Amino acid sequence: MSLLPSMIEIVRDNWLLLLVGQYPNGPLGGIAATLILSVLGIALAFPLSVAMALASLSPWRALRWPVMAMVYITRGVPLLLIILWVYFVLPLLIGHSVPAFATMLVTLVGYEAAFLSEIVRAGIHALPKGQMDAARALGHSRLGAMRYVILPQALFNMIPSILSQFVSTVKETTLGYIINVPELTFAAGQINNRLLTKPFEVYFILAISYFIVCWTLTQAINMVERRITARRTAGVAAASALPATAASASGA
Amino acid sequence: MIEFVAVHKFFGSLAALTDVNAEVNRGEVVVVCGPSGSGKSTLIRTVNRLEEIQSGSVLFEGKDVHAKLGGTALNRLRSRIGFVFQSFNLFPHLSALDNVMLSPMKVNGVRRSDARETALRLLDRVGLSAKAQNYPAQLSGGQQQRVAIARALAMEPPAMLFDEPTSALDPEMVGEVLSVMRGLARDGMTMMCVTHEMNFARDVADRVWFMDAGRVLETGAPVDFFRSPQHPRAQRFLSDLHSR
Repeated sequence: MSLLPSMIEIVRDNWLLLLVGQYPNGPLGGIAATLILSVLGIALAFPLSVAMALASLSPWRALRWPVMAMVYITRGVPLLLIILWVYFVLPLLIGHSVPAFATMLVTLVGYEAAFLSEIVRAGIHALPKGQMDAARALGHSRLGAMRYVILPQALFNMIPSILSQFVSTVKETTLGYIINVPELTFAAGQINNRLLTKPFEVYFILAISYFIVCWTLTQAINMVERRITARRTAGVAAASALPATAASASGA
Repeated sequence: MIEFVAVHKFFGSLAALTDVNAEVNRGEVVVVCGPSGSGKSTLIRTVNRLEEIQSGSVLFEGKDVHAKLGGTALNRLRSRIGFVFQSFNLFPHLSALDNVMLSPMKVNGVRRSDARETALRLLDRVGLSAKAQNYPAQLSGGQQQRVAIARALAMEPPAMLFDEPTSALDPEMVGEVLSVMRGLARDGMTMMCVTHEMNFARDVADRVWFMDAGRVLETGAPVDFFRSPQHPRAQRFLSDLHSR
């Protein structure tokens, strides 16, 4: 069986392309682009999702409806179609071409924000109603109560869900391949096109690469989850662990 | 100071409050008692509009709490009405001290150092200065409720409302919370208190309101209420209490 040596040879010849794409002679690609796309995607989607969650819980219809529409669309339409739609329609709307990376990023941010906003909304709903009552009884406005009382608790509880959404995002970036975003799958595609005769080896390497990234992240999530559970169950641990959130809440 | 005028409230077709007319005067301690489901908690929650009403009005310091108010006007009103919940509702992500400091700083714009000084003084007043840095999860129920009282007092409200403050407590912790409330009453705080603690009503209340089925049936002095209740429903309520 010559599979393993052949794979090692492919990695040896192409590791730089898999890691950073054609950088510095071309755009940054490979695993680096995949991770940058995922991190930026979640980092930009997160604040947007909090705003969307607050809008969807707002008493005003004008705020609630656009968010609900966006959530239903992202639930009901495959991500690939949204990517294609943004890729072809956005340039027509704004009148000039948009780089593939930016197209992918914008789509991911919108898509992930819609999903995260549902997670945030569920996190807010999961808190006892008395928390909002107590904050309002003390004279906080709705937004003030959200900012100082509800969100610090809800967001802390949601850390594991947000992180697993991040892992999904890593896998979703593969769809950028269809519009030539030079990420990891695209790099593997280039290698395959050049070798022509070794698709199994190339895509096996690709699968292992994604698996390593996502498995590492999942392990990290499990660790965070265990810590959070430990803090909640042990009152004393909670005291030493919580000051960070407390300080950010009262110092904001 | 707190005045109910022809207050009606419905949950769907169920009448929760029916034609409530009563007043808590400045400096007075009113204990609201009655069987469960009689509307006591609903009534006290209408004072700071945690519950809406369908008709009538609730006046606090002469201002109609249920009038069409801008958000800020309602928030300002609420910040002047101390409210203590049955389930404490401390903010679990903040220490006892931060629980007490938060609202003076964020609602009233008090400087951090001043808020801290006031909070420490109030925690001392409820006997918890040693627990200032503890988180709610590390405090007993009685301690949490005392922090909740300190948190309400930190807004310097002219009146305090208590919604069954000892009902969720283990029996041995009821005393510590009641003694804080007795102290407040002694200092002349206007108080409206829903409670099943009849000894507290007898000793501390200036008047006892008896409620049943959404109506306030009696509003007498505790001596009269406990010795010779007028309404048959109140007589039955008290004899049930004694026979327990």
